[in-house]
Amino acid sequence: MTQAPLLTYVTFLPFLGVIPTLFVSQKSEAGRSLIRWISLITSIIVFIVSLRIYNGFDGNIADFQLVELKSWIPSFGISYHMGVDGISFWLILLTTFLTPITILSTWTAIEKRVKEFYISMLVLETAMLGTFCALDIFLFYVFWEIMLIPMYFIIGVWGGERRIYAAIKFFLFTAVGSLLMLVCIIGLVYFHKEATGVLTFNLTELYGTTLPHIYEILFFASFALAFAIKVPMWPVHTWLPDAHVEAPTAGSVILAGILLKMGTYGFVRFAMPLFPDGSAFFTPLIITLSVIGIIYGALVAMVQPDVKKLVAYSSVSHLGYCMLGLYVLNQQGVEGSIYQMLNHGISTGALFLLVGIVYERRHTRLISEYGGIAKIMPVYATIFFIVTLSSIGLPTTNGFIGEFLILLGAFKANKLAAVLAASGVILGAIYMLWMVQRVFYGEVTNPKNLNLKDVSCREVVYMLPLVVCIFWMGLFPNFFMEKMHVSVDKFISQVSKNNNYHNLPKCQIHHASLIQSEHK
Amino acid sequence: MYSDYAFSLEQLWKIAGGQLVLLLAALLIICADLFLMQKSDDTKKASVIGWLTVAVIMAALLHVINREWQLTEVVFMGVFSMEKYSAFIVITILMAGILATLFGIGYIRNNKVCRSEYFILLLFALYGAIAMVQSVDLLMMFIALEIMSVAVYVLAAFLKKDRRSQEAAIKYFLLGCFGSAFFLFGTALLYGLTGTVNLSFIAKVLSVGMFERPEVLVALAMIMAGLFFKMAIVPFHMWTPDVYEGSPAVVTGFMATVIKAGAFGAFLKIITVTFSPALAYSGQPVFHSVLNLASLGVYWKAVIAASALLTMFIGNLVAVSQKNVKRMLAYSSIAHAGYMLLGILAANDEGRMGVLYYLFSYTLMNLGAFGVLYLIDGTERNAQTLEDYQGLGYKYPVHSFLMALFLISMAGLPPTAGFISKFYVFLSVIKEGYFVLAALGILTSAIGSYYYLRVIYMLYMKEPVREIECGRMTLSSAVALIFAAIGVLYLGILPEWLAQVAQAAQSTLAFVF
Repeated sequence: MTQAPLLTYVTFLPFLGVIPTLFVSQKSEAGRSLIRWISLITSIIVFIVSLRIYNGFDGNIADFQLVELKSWIPSFGISYHMGVDGISFWLILLTTFLTPITILSTWTAIEKRVKEFYISMLVLETAMLGTFCALDIFLFYVFWEIMLIPMYFIIGVWGGERRIYAAIKFFLFTAVGSLLMLVCIIGLVYFHKEATGVLTFNLTELYGTTLPHIYEILFFASFALAFAIKVPMWPVHTWLPDAHVEAPTAGSVILAGILLKMGTYGFVRFAMPLFPDGSAFFTPLIITLSVIGIIYGALVAMVQPDVKKLVAYSSVSHLGYCMLGLYVLNQQGVEGSIYQMLNHGISTGALFLLVGIVYERRHTRLISEYGGIAKIMPVYATIFFIVTLSSIGLPTTNGFIGEFLILLGAFKANKLAAVLAASGVILGAIYMLWMVQRVFYGEVTNPKNLNLKDVSCREVVYMLPLVVCIFWMGLFPNFFMEKMHVSVDKFISQVSKNNNYHNLPKCQIHHASLIQSEHK
Repeated sequence: MYSDYAFSLEQLWKIAGGQLVLLLAALLIICADLFLMQKSDDTKKASVIGWLTVAVIMAALLHVINREWQLTEVVFMGVFSMEKYSAFIVITILMAGILATLFGIGYIRNNKVCRSEYFILLLFALYGAIAMVQSVDLLMMFIALEIMSVAVYVLAAFLKKDRRSQEAAIKYFLLGCFGSAFFLFGTALLYGLTGTVNLSFIAKVLSVGMFERPEVLVALAMIMAGLFFKMAIVPFHMWTPDVYEGSPAVVTGFMATVIKAGAFGAFLKIITVTFSPALAYSGQPVFHSVLNLASLGVYWKAVIAASALLTMFIGNLVAVSQKNVKRMLAYSSIAHAGYMLLGILAANDEGRMGVLYYLFSYTLMNLGAFGVLYLIDGTERNAQTLEDYQGLGYKYPVHSFLMALFLISMAGLPPTAGFISKFYVFLSVIKEGYFVLAALGILTSAIGSYYYLRVIYMLYMKEPVREIECGRMTLSSAVALIFAAIGVLYLGILPEWLAQVAQAAQSTLAFVF
């Protein structure tokens, strides 16, 4: 393959944008706005370049595509291995799509320490893209950990009152999970070496490693813990409401829109296919926890006085659907789950942006402070209502497709779980609509709200793509689905116990032979 | 493999040039300081001598890289062994020496304590550390250990008028003597049992079937205690926080890296050459009783596993409750010793390579952190507590960024050298099947990240409580900090080169016999 290393370009372009910002002084207003423009343009360029992945990507091939493979630490079989398949493909586009929108939303919200903020955002984008592209488990881990540092700063420096507590909690929860995962990664690699004699961290080689049953279960458990914290699954979700409430709007959008997907993505890419037996062993537990998460998240969201916290708990509920969809292990469930990841990125991202818009004007997020503002901000109210419907899962919006497919898959596999999960849809409608009713309808009760300005041109500009996406994904799901089918088939055959997962097609380039020939 | 060695200057230069340069330069600088430069201004004198010292260490470093790196022989009637393993640690030590000298030049200027003894003592300490790593003779090792230690005892008391500096020196001196005595007693026991103090001879004699005898274990325990003291391994770590806190920041950085590197180098050599179960499979005919040797590993491995675990836990846990950044870094350096001990415990190629890699990157990040610490400190004891660090990130962006970088590396987060080093040592113990130990150890690393991050949030996320005037960034400090920062990032992103070098270095340990 002699084509340009597209994934490397996409991943490291945001980082290039950091360099010019370093030389701009942020003392003057002109300098600050220059920094904003540099990072906005960088992220838009990244989005445009990432669209080329769409051209280069063939939805009929199950293997990883656009593969780049270079040896990195040859003495331990670690390589710089990047590639996409139908699952990571859309998540990469989601990342490059949401980042410019987020950056545009911070135009007036971030006033202090502007340079540091945009540097953090761009570094974060590089780390997120790297995490989705990495096919070497060590490389993945490196990006996964790097991601923590800018997010720690975004929450901790630009967040609300209890920001330091939230930042540390976010960091420690993720770090503890992922450090245990590191031990198991190394263990897995040595088991693989024992079986084949090849020391490698290459994911495509490690698939199909047979482990003693007990280790399979242990390793899966520690991988699952690391990813479940990120998802977040009940009961390790407690960092999420804190982090969301304290984070600045941009932080919340990225956190909900993309970072949470890393957890579910980790299950799809690593935990489940690497340890199919361990995964099967824990299936009942994970389905139970997902259903608890769906209902618990919805119930707790219902009673939140704070809009942002409400949206945060709704994330717990939505991500519960994603996990349920993955674990029913059939075409509908898994595809629905991946679709729901994208939906959640767009709808919840949009909700956080909308909450941010009124927060910037009124500096409060309490539902009781508002009421009747549909009259004062009609355009805002319209957008908010559309996004709400998408979050509830009304037909013609994206949310419907995802939830419907997941429930369809769940009915095939586990009727009880499906029935219970379906009740979450109703609860979701209740808490969202109730909140909308209290905030937007009725009389204007609080005189402070009388002078609220409706959305500005800039705000419309960044909300519009999201609204378009909501309908596009709701009306033409096949445009998105057709790229997934083959990869999802492969994923299911890797994880299902009945299939012989040792005979999977390997990646076109044989990793070990390449590394060894270079080594000599 | 003893070389036929006739005394000639050329030969002497070839095998011991590095040591000779340091020793002669130290003596010459004393004379120069006393007689030649009496008239000149103190500040100027100190900085001239400082740069001279840098040049001297650089010369020794070049000699080691060019000449001693190529050697594989035991010289001076079996006292020193010149092989890549020693050369690697010597390079680490000399690098630490250069960094500490560069910081020292700035420190002396900022604190207006213009005395050039700092550099002379530093050269002696470096000489001692190097000789200790290169020796294969327990008695020589002891002498080198003492040369190093005495110089550092004096360095700890460098701020003559500061009571805490004096306290640190006295404490270090008393406890240090105790540690050295243990080492000497262990040596004496082994000499009594085997009739030799040479490491490989001891192994050969013991292999006749004496390993099971309790005296041997007592001797080994004594030697371990002596060296663990210098390495600051729990339960021989009690002196560390007080001494590190009381000594001048640059000396603390020097102590935490050079002494640790020297002691780790010597300890790994003793364990591998004399007491390693790997000897049993080395195929050397002299080792009669293969089984005896193999079973010996069981004893010290249990001890090392326990101390490593305790060291990681106590170092990290106690660091959490520290308010003083210097004291916190002292506990963190205890914790780091625990991680390095894991590599020795694994006793495989990866483990020894990991220890070497860890020592090298630890030197960069730790000295870097202490370098920034002394700059933030300004005049000594100006800003030491976490509270003083509040909000410095925006007033002193360069200082704070470097501090954050070194601390992130110590916390073991990618893409820094600290992450790769931890990865290597954990990899080596997991390879040997120590899953539980690795999992517990890595959890302590999560505890560690908590207190490292706390400094970072003090720097960036809090508003300042009082005005802090940081010290001026001198040219010498800037050079050293840039070198350390680039090193930390380079070793974190492209570790292969140094890993290969460390691998080559550790594989020469077997040549010592």
